[in-house]
Amino acid sequence: MAGSVENAVEDQLQQLNNARKLVLGDTTYYPQIVQSVLPIIQPTHPLPMRRWSADFLAEVFSSPALKISQKESICLLVLETLKNLIQDSNEDAYVLRNAIQTCASIYPLAFNWVLANSYDGPTWERVMAIKTRILQIWDNVPPAIRICCIKFAQRVVLAQTVASSDRQRGDLNINLAMIPQNHPLLDPRHLEAEATGLLDRMLGVLQENSRYEGSYSSSSSDLTNTALVCSSDAILVDATLNSLSILVRTRPGTSNRIMNAILNFNPLKLANSPMTPKTKVLIKSMEKTTRMLVKHLYQRDPHNPNAPRLQQHVERLMRSRAEILDESSRKRPNADGNGQDSKRQKLTPASQPKAPSAPNIEITHLEPGPHSLAELFTLAKDKGLTSFDATQVPLPYAVQITVTALSRAEPTLFMKALDGVRDRLVQMVKAEADINPETAPLGVDDDDDYEPDFDTGEDTEQILNKLDSAPPETIDAKPLGPSLALGSVNLPPAPILNPDMAAKVGQGTVARVFSMMRTLDDSTARKPKTGLSRLAASSLDRESWVTVIARLATRSSAGLETSVKSEDGASSVGSANLNDSIRELLYAYVMEDFRRRIEVAASWLCEEWYCDRVNKKHGLDGPLHYNKWVIKVMDGFIAYLNPADKVFTRFLSEMPELNMEILSRVKRLCRDPAMVQLVTTSLYYLVMTRPPVRNMVLDTFQEIWVEFEDARPFAEKYLAKWRPEFVKAVRAAKQPVSAK
Amino acid sequence: METSNGSASSSAPSNEAPSGDFKLKFCTVCASNQNRSMEAHLRLSEAQYPVISFGTGSLVRLPGPTISQPNVYEFNKTSYDTMFKELESKDPRLYRANGLLNMLDRNRHVKSGPERWQNWQPGLPRLDHASDKGSEGCEGGVVDIVITCEERCWDAVIDDLHNRGAPLNKPVHVINVDIKDNHEEASVGGRGIVDLAKSLNAAAAEERGKMGPALFDQGGSSARSSFDERVPDVLAEWQEKWPNLPATWTLAWF
Repeated sequence: MAGSVENAVEDQLQQLNNARKLVLGDTTYYPQIVQSVLPIIQPTHPLPMRRWSADFLAEVFSSPALKISQKESICLLVLETLKNLIQDSNEDAYVLRNAIQTCASIYPLAFNWVLANSYDGPTWERVMAIKTRILQIWDNVPPAIRICCIKFAQRVVLAQTVASSDRQRGDLNINLAMIPQNHPLLDPRHLEAEATGLLDRMLGVLQENSRYEGSYSSSSSDLTNTALVCSSDAILVDATLNSLSILVRTRPGTSNRIMNAILNFNPLKLANSPMTPKTKVLIKSMEKTTRMLVKHLYQRDPHNPNAPRLQQHVERLMRSRAEILDESSRKRPNADGNGQDSKRQKLTPASQPKAPSAPNIEITHLEPGPHSLAELFTLAKDKGLTSFDATQVPLPYAVQITVTALSRAEPTLFMKALDGVRDRLVQMVKAEADINPETAPLGVDDDDDYEPDFDTGEDTEQILNKLDSAPPETIDAKPLGPSLALGSVNLPPAPILNPDMAAKVGQGTVARVFSMMRTLDDSTARKPKTGLSRLAASSLDRESWVTVIARLATRSSAGLETSVKSEDGASSVGSANLNDSIRELLYAYVMEDFRRRIEVAASWLCEEWYCDRVNKKHGLDGPLHYNKWVIKVMDGFIAYLNPADKVFTRFLSEMPELNMEILSRVKRLCRDPAMVQLVTTSLYYLVMTRPPVRNMVLDTFQEIWVEFEDARPFAEKYLAKWRPEFVKAVRAAKQPVSAK
Repeated sequence: METSNGSASSSAPSNEAPSGDFKLKFCTVCASNQNRSMEAHLRLSEAQYPVISFGTGSLVRLPGPTISQPNVYEFNKTSYDTMFKELESKDPRLYRANGLLNMLDRNRHVKSGPERWQNWQPGLPRLDHASDKGSEGCEGGVVDIVITCEERCWDAVIDDLHNRGAPLNKPVHVINVDIKDNHEEASVGGRGIVDLAKSLNAAAAEERGKMGPALFDQGGSSARSSFDERVPDVLAEWQEKWPNLPATWTLAWF
């Protein structure tokens, strides 16, 4: 039967749990669920269910998921039940504890309700009854429940004192200042007085503990007679201390009282009792809890007039804590202070007497962690020796000492020392190499206290001060040496020069020469003729550059072109290209202003002619350029000639070689009657001055006479002098025609 | 009431049976909610305790290629899974060798991502964490015991509780168990924490099993103990067993 009851209870608990999950997900069901849970908490129900309900109620009223207004309306439903529970002196401890927790949450809610609804006397009466009852049982319940009474009192004090402007969220803000004037139920003066009394009662636990000191000092030997620290002390002290922060911070009226109580409280006064593991836990707990609260208070409000006192209190606590709690390890500070030296110290007496007698040396292994070079080589264990700064010894002395010492050192001892250092090195390298993932620290969080929104940055002055007091930076050239020395610089290998690129570069060079030529002065000033012995291109004026370029164009690849032409490689194209491109540039240069640059053209074409001649003379069957380029130049400017252009005459006369092809171009000019005079004059000049081509030119005259009727009078004029037979013949031929 | 009490206690003369399935709710806290708190979280959940876990640092920091290049993540934003994948893509050899990938792999199977203590609102339902290991029993968003793994985490927790002003009126035991932040020590510490949890739970269950009225008489506090009072005893006893995990305790308020 008992089993079936238990099963029923289990089932019901399961249902309750489901209901709870429902409201956790959706707060709108809270009023319903609370109302259906309330009957279960009644003493007639099985204890597990009553406990569950008490738990649930405490949860409902503390839940931040519910709004104050929601809780306020629900709390009116449960006040009567709570009152009855608390007033039942037979109540189960667990249920009672939760009930008081619920009351602590409800008190400000009910207070707020009554505050706004001054007619609701019955509610306030229930609240008063609950408060009275809790304050009444406060001292008679076990500590686990008493701490809840303390917490309840704290909420009462919170509600019944005036809040500072520092607004708190939620029901923590409900306070005395909110009571409207002439509230029929709430009298601020009375409530505040009550709060003050309650606060004193709360703080009493801190003062109570102080009383032990008197008893200790009066009868320090009689430890058994004095009250031992028990858990209840620590629980009550911790619970009280941990509930005070909000009061100090938000209820200025309570602040001084609390501060005084805290500052007068010495958690370590209880440390005179025998130090069992348990008392150690208790005392450590109270001390740390006090310290945390004090630290919290002055960090939250560093400008509080009490802040310096609080800070001092923390320091005092830490000092006495170190004295009392570290008693067992009091010998440690010496060892701790020196770190690994403790090991050396211990070994000193053992190894020192040995040293002079037997050639023995103790090589201690280095502890894991980073070591300086000096530490690596330090084998001495004497503290005085190891701390000796050898750099103080002047270098000459140091050398002397070292040499003497080394020469006298026992070879076996020396080798042993060397091996020892070597072992250390190996060990260190090894230690660095294999990091055990299991023991490697994960704490990257050394700067974990870093808060992005909390600026503790030093100001400029602080930084400057720090820099002033910093040791001067010494420039140590030696260790920096290798890292700062200039390493050998290797330029990347130059790209291989292929013919294309060479040609391009060559063209670039020539283009530069041309651009330079343009800026050079015209050698207008007439220079004294230097005669045939002059050296070409020595005057560095425009003329000499023209010579250079012309010779570059004509001679640079002379003799190469033949052999190159026979091959089919790309190189031939390159060099030919280069020469032809220079020619093109020269041609373009001449064409830009042929009237003034006809001289350039003449000298260039002379060079071409010369080069062709030399090629022929040496039997090289390279391509001939002269004719081609003369034609091209003539074709280039001939269209632009006007009748007054005497340069044409000059050009023709300066051409070293004339042929029928050239002359035929000249001849064709006669199509324009305006040009006839220029053409005939130029040709006649040739007839006059260049006997080698005279016949050829006279033939051209004849052709002109034949082809161009408009030019006949001019041609006839010259032909009559040089080819009278032709004139006669044509006149004779004409005669019959005209006779007819 | 008397009868029901009697029947319950008669069916369970000792204190074990009726409260055999009573479980204290735990919360483990370390700096980054990665190594120590998660090791303990996993072990406590495996021991069937309701458990949640947090970190008190400002950011989640994991070792990087050098000491000055840690991998930094935000709490409550980056999941363990994301971190795992990121580190795996960055340098699988390094992060496999230093155990990070292993750790993150463990963590991502415990819960979704690291949570920051300071961002946690106690009492707010945690129904959305239902898939976390140890979430069963923690739906209400409160715990009975907070175990931190480092002194400054304990300090941060206490300071934060002070700041919150104890609105829930619910007492909570905050215990620090000092554990060095490496995998090996975390494992040892995790075992220690489970041992402590078992001892605490046994004491709580025992006290809970004691039915009947709280005594208001003069015999009062010394006449009967309570779980809260027994915490220091349990801790002291445990400390003897685990001398290398120095512990601090206080009773604070949510």
